[in-house]
Amino acid sequence: MSMTESKTDYRNIFYPPGGILIWIIIFLELITFSLGLLAMVYYGKAESSLFHASSLTLNLNIAIVNTVVLLSSSYFMATAVQFTKEENTKKAADYTGLTIIFGLLFVCLKTFDYYLKIQAGEFLTTNTFYAFFWMLTAFHLIHVLIGLSILIYFYVAMKRGKETLQLTDMMAGAAFWHMCDLIWLLLFPVIYLIF
Amino acid sequence: MKNRIVLLLLLLFTLITAFVSGKQYALIVILLIADIKLFLVAFQFMELKKAHLFWRITLSLLIILVTMSLYILKN
Repeated sequence: MSMTESKTDYRNIFYPPGGILIWIIIFLELITFSLGLLAMVYYGKAESSLFHASSLTLNLNIAIVNTVVLLSSSYFMATAVQFTKEENTKKAADYTGLTIIFGLLFVCLKTFDYYLKIQAGEFLTTNTFYAFFWMLTAFHLIHVLIGLSILIYFYVAMKRGKETLQLTDMMAGAAFWHMCDLIWLLLFPVIYLIF
Repeated sequence: MKNRIVLLLLLLFTLITAFVSGKQYALIVILLIADIKLFLVAFQFMELKKAHLFWRITLSLLIILVTMSLYILKN
């Protein structure tokens, strides 16, 4: 496995950590979700009582636990990258495994949250608040699932001692995972707290 | 070690956010804390602190612009 610290100079404008392509994706995703949230706040001003009443039906406890779970998974991911740089593949795989477990926990909790919403009859078409809630959180969940697929690939590759896995690939995958965290850190306060 | 401290700070800020929700000046506090958390994840976990100034400034401006716009639109 070729996972030694690359000679990449991150101070070079064309080589940010993880690569320029992943950072372009990160910026595009952050802008897209931000526009969605700004639209939500804009519509929320026009229907303030409806947005307030609807936001009170959300399960804040699940959202807080999910935030803790996702932040912890980000920490495990950063640690996995650290061990990858130190060429400690076993520990890097262990921490990638922990990241995957916490990512799956996030998915389970979010699915339970959706189950509660469906049970309560609060769907995408119920009102404007729920339209934004479902669209933004489901779009985020899709990103988490894509991130998990990438991490599972890395985990299997590390466990098999695959030669083709490079540090730059690992860092790009980690950057994608952290991006899911960044998006959630924007979604959580707006959807669950400010209405 | 640094990553561990950052994680503890992130968890602490999450608890503070949940606690101040519904209180006076909650909006500005919640958005400020969200900003700090975004900066911590981007600069420490994503190692943006090692990147070229262009990336650091661009992401910082984007985060500040978004949260400021949210604040202005909400008020």
